[in-house]
Amino acid sequence: MSKRIFLLVLSVVFMAQPALSADLQKLVRKVEEQYMGLSSKSRMAMSIRSEHWERSLVMDAWSLGRDHFLVRIVEPAKERDVATLKVDNEVWNYLPKVDRVIKVPPSMMGGAWMGSHITNDDLVKANKIDEDYTFALLEETKERYLIECVPKPDAVVVWGKIVYEILRPLEVPGTVSYYDEEMVKVRDMVFDEVRKIDGRTIPLRMTIRPVDEPQESTVIRYSDIDFDIRIDKSFFSLRNLKR
Amino acid sequence: MLLRLASRNLWRNKRRTLLTLSAMVVSLALLTLSLGVFSGMLVDILASTTGQYHGHLVVTAEGYLDDRDMYRSFAPDPQLRQRLEADASVTGFSERLRGFGLISHRESSYPAELLGIHPEMEQTVTSLHRQLVEGDYLADSNGAGAVLGSGLARKLDVRPGDELVFVTQAADGSIGNDLLTVRGIFRTGHTGHDNSLVLVPQQWLQRVMALGGALHEIAVAVDEPLRAAEYRPRLAEHLANGMAVTGWGDLLPEMREAIASFDVSRLIFVCILYIATGLGILNTVFMSVMERTREFGILMALGLRPAQVRRLVLLESFLLGALGTLLGLACGLGLNYWMSRVGIDLSSWITPVTYAGGTIQPRLKAIFEARNFIDPAWLLLVVSLLAGFFPARRAAKLQPVEAIREE
Repeated sequence: MSKRIFLLVLSVVFMAQPALSADLQKLVRKVEEQYMGLSSKSRMAMSIRSEHWERSLVMDAWSLGRDHFLVRIVEPAKERDVATLKVDNEVWNYLPKVDRVIKVPPSMMGGAWMGSHITNDDLVKANKIDEDYTFALLEETKERYLIECVPKPDAVVVWGKIVYEILRPLEVPGTVSYYDEEMVKVRDMVFDEVRKIDGRTIPLRMTIRPVDEPQESTVIRYSDIDFDIRIDKSFFSLRNLKR
Repeated sequence: MLLRLASRNLWRNKRRTLLTLSAMVVSLALLTLSLGVFSGMLVDILASTTGQYHGHLVVTAEGYLDDRDMYRSFAPDPQLRQRLEADASVTGFSERLRGFGLISHRESSYPAELLGIHPEMEQTVTSLHRQLVEGDYLADSNGAGAVLGSGLARKLDVRPGDELVFVTQAADGSIGNDLLTVRGIFRTGHTGHDNSLVLVPQQWLQRVMALGGALHEIAVAVDEPLRAAEYRPRLAEHLANGMAVTGWGDLLPEMREAIASFDVSRLIFVCILYIATGLGILNTVFMSVMERTREFGILMALGLRPAQVRRLVLLESFLLGALGTLLGLACGLGLNYWMSRVGIDLSSWITPVTYAGGTIQPRLKAIFEARNFIDPAWLLLVVSLLAGFFPARRAAKLQPVEAIREE
């Protein structure tokens, strides 16, 4: 009985704005997939600035769909071949100095990835935004859509909400703001340098700024990116992580 | 004259006086004994808590204890080191570097707190080297050995000789990582430490964390831990600007509360026992006053003033109290001595209990603390005077003529 009422309530809630929410989800998904393609290979530079140090890395990355991702440091020499593999919800790091693979435990998913302002959790969850959240349109102008993403009740996510800006007419991400569970803004992710590559329109540069440390930032810039390359799941193996 | 009179009066009814005296002696002796055992337990539990990790005082850069920010480090200060070495109340100190990261063995990895130490220094502050359940303690401050808590060892499924990988974000932003070999496994009974603490050689950790020559804290052990707070300002005087010293009371607030609550229960304990003893003395003195109504009447008729009568009775009661205190203290010291040397081992009946973060060992053992003797002693004197007060007043109020007529 209660289950039936629940379903009834659920259907009423969703019928209220069925087309809109679904459209927004599709839109967000489309924007997110621009980056991924079916598969991709890219070279990127990551520069991290923190209160105590600054450093730059050059990395090669491969992806297949949403669930397979491998990234390997090319520079600096000291950290060459340090690599991260993500398959589904799990993350492994390879440390060439000790020649060991370490699986990131659940308790460390919130930790920084490669010393940047990206967490391991971002690697796992970032591209699933359209699955874990519900969407509401905050603003629609000629220049942009502003979409509020609120996590679904059963979604295991760390954010209280995400405010996603999509720039028109190209439909590329602009500024994405992340809020914690107290609805306090924690960080901004800003996308710019929009280019057309392999028929896709994507911003080449991404800047992450934590709100409470204004002088800190992580900038990732693609210098080279190829989409829909021939690559299969076997590439994303622990053996290939170590290479 | 009054004194002689009082002491003679006391021994007129030997049996009654001896009975009261024995009650006083027994209660004082048992009181000091139980306070000694209480203190013993307290020092045990405090030692087990501070000896697991903090020590009694911790010297850090200001603010370090709030967020354990690895950049709040400081360079070793040879002058401070000398001063600590020369100080008679400092029983040991240990310079430490701390690093948080991921410790891993085969497929499993867990977050851990690494403490970079000099083994011979650390042993003067913590007791972890005595709490090894497997393997050995660290041998030097440069190798790549690790001594870790039993809970962490179980989760990682490692034994002495196994290899560990430590990964962290080093102070220069790079990914610090290196191999360690398990040397030993300790068990403190404190879940937090057993599940996350790893002792490693200091130089090794400085290298991995890119914090060469840096320290995060100096843990200090003093000879009288209960008075560490008094020692704090003395140490603070000699610290450089931007450094701070924190006592165990602030590091372990639950422990401080446990000790404060002990002080209250000690007071209650003393009160209850002394009410009973006081009533006993009151009874003795009252009876002897009642019996001597005629006698007091005659004394007063002979010219003894009421104030002198009162003083006489009070003196009797006080003499009884003083004698009881002396004998009680002697017995109490003896019992305490025996309990501190021999003690009672309860380990076959009770397992160690964890309380307020410390471990209470299943044994009864007394320690000597001056106030455990001084407080009960003067309190007993006060009680005996108080108990003499009513009978004395009554005696002083007697009318000589009526008193002499009394049967």
